[in-house]
Amino acid sequence: MLLITCPHCGPREESEFSCGGEAHIARPLAENNLTDAEFADYLFLRDNPKGMFLERWRHAAGCRRWFNMARDTVTHEIVEIYPMGNTPKSKAGKAAHADSWRRDTAAEAAAKPASKSRSKQGG
Amino acid sequence: MASTANKGSRAPGRTALSGKTKQTIATPDGGRVGLAITELSHLGKINLRGGDDILPAVKKHTGCSNLPENNRTVQIGERTLIWLAPDEFLVLCEAGEEAGLHSQLMLDLGKVHAAVTNVTDALCALSLRGQALRKVLAKGCALDLHPSVFTAGMCAQTILSHAAVTLVAVSDDQFTLICRTSFAAYVHDWLMDAGLEYGVSFKG
Ligand SMILES: [Zn+2]
Repeated sequence: MLLITCPHCGPREESEFSCGGEAHIARPLAENNLTDAEFADYLFLRDNPKGMFLERWRHAAGCRRWFNMARDTVTHEIVEIYPMGNTPKSKAGKAAHADSWRRDTAAEAAAKPASKSRSKQGG
Repeated sequence: MASTANKGSRAPGRTALSGKTKQTIATPDGGRVGLAITELSHLGKINLRGGDDILPAVKKHTGCSNLPENNRTVQIGERTLIWLAPDEFLVLCEAGEEAGLHSQLMLDLGKVHAAVTNVTDALCALSLRGQALRKVLAKGCALDLHPSVFTAGMCAQTILSHAAVTLVAVSDDQFTLICRTSFAAYVHDWLMDAGLEYGVSFKG
């Protein structure tokens, strides 16, 4: 059983929380410009790493707020808890974020509002 | 909503636990009662959501000059503000006053981004008293309930033996427990069972 520190309520037992799976999956803005295979990366494919994993969690039985967590799936060590909308600040968390296969997908590129990525996809 | 205001709700009526037997089961050695359970019948409950700009209206109607900090309550007389989440509070008020308080808050928060919901009958409030109170709750709750950690004035939404509850520490040996009305019978039965070894009573 994990002891998870809710950013609002403090340390609570794991049973009070629900895990929302992989974090940092951005919805592509120009989805019509993606192939079905590229869109599937966003819609269906989820990471299941052995080691550092960035997850979303919700304090379901407490304040009912979402937050992000960098957790080692082997040791269960919780390296970092950080707010929704942010990226990790710890060294291990940053590395997990940068090394994710998702960073290189067309779906993630199309999630950025910059016109460069859209015109690239549109071409 | 104001048209449904009913000052007469103070009158006796069915509550979540009105069908439960009033009983005292003292310990065989010495006849102690370590946990005394009382239903706070018809206690007014209003869920309030909003940012710091709800404070003037809250202050006007509860007397609380601050919104409670995380995991804290503020009590002025009969009215209590319970922190639930960063922008969410539960207001406890006198039985029968909830409809009036609800419409007053709605009126004064008309121009503020806020939500006011009368949840009086959705939730059941119990008063728990006694020396064994924290020991009984600890049987079904993972929260650190030691009197040096969960001190008077603190509150927590947590799980008590699978049921979602809000616990408020009124003093070292007195808590208010708030659960969904539909879970009240279960929570009552669980408390009577868990409290048996310390002596337990339900006074209606
Ligand atoms: Zn929380």
